[in-house]
Amino acid sequence: MDPSQLQSNELAQFIAQEKERAMVNEMVAKLTNVCWDKCITGTPGSKFSSSESSCLSNCARRYMDMSIIIVKRFQNMQ
Amino acid sequence: MDAFSSSPSSGSPSQQFSSSDFKDQLKTQLAQAYAEEFLETIRVKCFDKCITKPGSSLGGSESSCISRCVDRYIEATGIVSKSLFSAQQ
Repeated sequence: MDPSQLQSNELAQFIAQEKERAMVNEMVAKLTNVCWDKCITGTPGSKFSSSESSCLSNCARRYMDMSIIIVKRFQNMQ
Repeated sequence: MDAFSSSPSSGSPSQQFSSSDFKDQLKTQLAQAYAEEFLETIRVKCFDKCITKPGSSLGGSESSCISRCVDRYIEATGIVSKSLFSAQQ
């Protein structure tokens, strides 16, 4: 393999990796946004209550569960 | 990104920037975009929570609410991230 080919493979790999990282960041940002609205109903305190923090982590996990169900639902329609 | 729209076989040192420059630049720009978006979200969320009735000036209780809100939003991001990537319970 010539060096330029090697370099462009390496770049493609780098870009794929950064793309994945960006997608993960975006997902975390999206879920935080949605779950904040669901779980933090009062004025923010100096510390999360245990119900607020468990609501946040449950909310994030249930959102992922839901995504899977939605995808399956669409697959069944075809 | 001129250096990459041209043929990669022109990989001479006279290229506009090297692959590692490109990587650094991409990483920096992504981080900047992420930070801007994060800040914008926090602004929206904390304005919602803390400035419920905009008065003629920002009150002390409003500013302290904003500080707490920023801290909690960052913490919430950590909780969400952890709950997705730590072992499922």
